[in-house]
Amino acid sequence: MRVGIIPQQSGGSYKFTIYLLASLGLLIATLPVIIIALMSFSAAETTSFPPQAYSLRWYIKMFELFQPNGENSDASLQIALLTSLKVAALVMLIASVVCVPLAYVLVRSGGRLKNGMELLFTLPLVFPLVILGIAFLLIAESLDLELGIWRLVIPHVALVLPFVLRNCVGAMSSIDIELEQAAISLGASPLRAGVDIVVPLMKPGIIAGLVFALIISFNEFTITYFMYTVDVTTLPIWMYSRTVSSLDPSTLAISFVIVLIDLALILLIDKLLAGRNSLL
Amino acid sequence: MSKTKILLLCFPALLTITPFLAACFFIFRFSFSANQGAIEGFSFTPYLELADPFFIRSLLTTFKLASFSTVIVIVLAIPLALVMATVQKPWLRRLLSVAILMPMILNLLIQSYGWIILLGPTGVLNTSLRELGLISRPIMLLFNESGVLLGLVQTALPLAVFPILTATRNISEEHIEAACVNGASHWRCFFDITLPLLKPGIISGASIVFAYNASAFAIPLLLGGRRVQMLGVAIRDYISPLFNWSGAAAAGMVLIALTIGVLALANYLTQRWTVTEYQS
Repeated sequence: MRVGIIPQQSGGSYKFTIYLLASLGLLIATLPVIIIALMSFSAAETTSFPPQAYSLRWYIKMFELFQPNGENSDASLQIALLTSLKVAALVMLIASVVCVPLAYVLVRSGGRLKNGMELLFTLPLVFPLVILGIAFLLIAESLDLELGIWRLVIPHVALVLPFVLRNCVGAMSSIDIELEQAAISLGASPLRAGVDIVVPLMKPGIIAGLVFALIISFNEFTITYFMYTVDVTTLPIWMYSRTVSSLDPSTLAISFVIVLIDLALILLIDKLLAGRNSLL
Repeated sequence: MSKTKILLLCFPALLTITPFLAACFFIFRFSFSANQGAIEGFSFTPYLELADPFFIRSLLTTFKLASFSTVIVIVLAIPLALVMATVQKPWLRRLLSVAILMPMILNLLIQSYGWIILLGPTGVLNTSLRELGLISRPIMLLFNESGVLLGLVQTALPLAVFPILTATRNISEEHIEAACVNGASHWRCFFDITLPLLKPGIISGASIVFAYNASAFAIPLLLGGRRVQMLGVAIRDYISPLFNWSGAAAAGMVLIALTIGVLALANYLTQRWTVTEYQS
């Protein structure tokens, strides 16, 4: 149907320009990651390009950094990674526990409640992150709150809510109300029908939402930049503080591993939502 | 569903979004505070004090970089969307989507490492140009506005490609064919048929890109150094060296007004155009 948008046979300067600009866009989008991937396999000490020889030395260095009590291990890195994972786990748990019942209500009751709530829960998406970071910081500082790890969990939950809710609503919409009614007419309590029938059917959507939450929380930089403390630091902040002065190739190795994990997670979401095309 | 049940199921989600709403309210209230370091009294001073060269310059820088990056992003995103719309092979489509999505999924910190290696004083570009004998001293591409602009273009590209891609569904082969049969050149077809049909997608993409880049923080922080004071970074400076919290809040409100204003304007424009098209 859309064959005509770009001419197939002829096209001359028009076709050339379109493909040129598209390739340029693609190049700009992917170049930083490609460079990091290449440089992380360099055998040299410095970040000169192209690498004279390739090796896994920076990956070996990275493993040593993560080794507990090793010669080259870095306790601050291990603590930062652990904090990142803890924050992400709590964020995923909280977001899914609150979004599943909300999605249920929104889909089943519909109408104005649904529109209003969906608008309310999209707000964190359009709100500038810097301002959120500063606002949360000002609240925590002026009320003198001792929040520990919740300093990061609370703002991260707000950030992931739009994504988790959207995926839960998407999954909920495709569940027939008759399945629930059947369970209830066979004697199940509404709660039981919800937990045993609706939640399992929503599972792909819930998991997709959770993976989004994991990616966002684990990579979050801006709000965390304002909220971190010496005791509560995440991996991106650790990397930032380490590279303010100069780039260390072992940080590039860590970066590339994170990139690979993110890509694997995105492919997982793509598979979970197969055909529904709701990645954006 | 009974009212109590609805409320009960919505309650946990509302509870988790409360800190976000509190943060929004807090920054609003703080921007009218008579005291720079705490919420106290009511005054317009924080806003009046924004009329100083530091803030005005940063507002202009923000406006300039956000506008330039929006124009560049749209010029790259239209051809990319057209190419994606014509790709038939599913695997190629998926590869393209992931490649274009990458700047959005991945950590901004990691992507800026890529740009630093590529464009830094001893980076890929400078080294190769020097080896070719084209330059004697490194060109400064980073830690000034050009570096920030490149970073902004890269990270915001997916935000424009996907709305425009959605808009390509409006274009049918018949439209283009009808024009071509009548002897219009490919360029003529593009400007007279394709572009107007893509207008809703372009408007919404451009407004999202502008709002996103105007409130950018990580990119100007990492690629701009101290010299490029976009609003996000300037607001950070109100907090950290200046301790002018009410000033930061007022500057934040200006940024929110700017981004939400642009998004609302775009929304209004697209709706008005859709309505007129229906009527005509």
